[in-house]
Amino acid sequence: MRETYAAPLPGMNLAELPGKLIVIEGTDGVGRSTQIRLLRPWLEQQGRAVLDTAIKRSELAGKGIQQAKEGHTLGRITLSLFYATDFADRLEHEIVPALRAGFVVLTDRYIYSLMARAIVRGADPRWIRNAYGFALKPDATFYLRTGVDDLIPRVVFSRGFDYWESGMDIHPSEDMYDSFRKYQTELLAEFERLAKEYNFEIIDATPDVRTVFEHLRAGVARVLSGEPREPLFSVPTPPAEEPLEAAAKRVLEMPSPTRLAASTVEEAPLADQPLARAVDGDATK
Amino acid sequence: MKRYGEHRFPGKLFVVEGIDGSGKSTQLMLLHQWLQAEGYGVVFSEWNSSPLVRETTKRGKKKQTLTPSTFSLIHATDFADRMEHNILPLLKAGAVVLCDRYIYTAFGRDVVRGMDPQWVRELYSFAVKPTAAFYFRVPLDVAMKRILEGRSGVKFYEAGLDLGLSEDPEESFGIFQGRILDEYEKMVPEYDLTTVDATRPIEEQQTYMRQIVKAKLAQAKRLRVAP
Repeated sequence: MRETYAAPLPGMNLAELPGKLIVIEGTDGVGRSTQIRLLRPWLEQQGRAVLDTAIKRSELAGKGIQQAKEGHTLGRITLSLFYATDFADRLEHEIVPALRAGFVVLTDRYIYSLMARAIVRGADPRWIRNAYGFALKPDATFYLRTGVDDLIPRVVFSRGFDYWESGMDIHPSEDMYDSFRKYQTELLAEFERLAKEYNFEIIDATPDVRTVFEHLRAGVARVLSGEPREPLFSVPTPPAEEPLEAAAKRVLEMPSPTRLAASTVEEAPLADQPLARAVDGDATK
Repeated sequence: MKRYGEHRFPGKLFVVEGIDGSGKSTQLMLLHQWLQAEGYGVVFSEWNSSPLVRETTKRGKKKQTLTPSTFSLIHATDFADRMEHNILPLLKAGAVVLCDRYIYTAFGRDVVRGMDPQWVRELYSFAVKPTAAFYFRVPLDVAMKRILEGRSGVKFYEAGLDLGLSEDPEESFGIFQGRILDEYEKMVPEYDLTTVDATRPIEEQQTYMRQIVKAKLAQAKRLRVAP
């Protein structure tokens, strides 16, 4: 019998949900979707049906949130509730039906990211926990952990700083770099608190894609085979904040974006994995 | 994040509640005109009217994909947008804000749809406590007659047809509204709602409302309205 954190939704039968609910959590730009693109074909090759889902993908509210965010006029409580609507729609119309049909559900973020963002924006932690009380407890939550100093070069050389990921709605007077740094530092601290409270399995996201994937794959394999959790990867707490000049120097010394992409994909093929599909997925994004 | 009951603003907030056909909107309109004539800066805000979520709500209603949870959350989103962008700043500025339906509507409808009563109450805990909340108490048959005579039919969610109470829209509407009525009755003592007998003549109800509002506005500073 599956459990929820608080009262379940009306009409939701928690019995006979034989699928597995696996959550990949982590902050913006940490590589969650890259890992999911690798996990999916690996699972499918073993004959497992996979549903992957992510925030804002609901039929009901995904588009509405996108449009509302473009205007930057969303209030903080409004934004949280809009996300909760999106989540409830996906839970009832995608996640639960897939679990009932025995799928492995890979979800790119879950309620924890939404809670962390809301709390950093000043929401009452009690209030946001209540709002998501109807969420199913997942079979496992893998948290891709990084420090803000490792995050910055990733973001700079992929998509650049985004308004919301930089918390510009909270620190509007700062430039995007300073705001990003401040916001992500707060967010990561909140994730650490949630990791303890919700028993996340922590995966060090700082090595190359292949190494992270190997760790993640081992964790997922263990969940699917029903083996109990063991302290596989003990990751030290990230070091205290790097001085600003050192971080800036590191950013400047990073290889160019094309070389960065090449080194993470081509030099690290997983000999026995259908990586080509995942790479295609990357290229088309 | 301030919670219900913790707010202190120079403005005043009056809300009307009751089932469909209780006559609350008519009474609020009359109150609105009177307050304007008295020289108050008055603003009106209606349930389910935020432009931000309009498209989303429309999509869900049209395709009938709204469930009790998403129905509840989308209305909470709508309310939050009006609270953050409209009601709160206006109360801070000293306006008289009038709301046609407030959080008690959600407490009634969502709970009848099966949502946990405590969950819904906590969800709306960011709402400002009204200066006075008028509940228009009306027997179900009277309200039903008013609604069904004046309209060609009731809409899917309005009739609670998503709950499968009855195949017949009118019968479903009756059962649904009856259950909401029961929830309102529970809220009268819980939230200290001011009960208005909605079977009395319209003028009589309005006189009663104005007396109460006048007393609450006695110390309020009148916000100068631009001519």
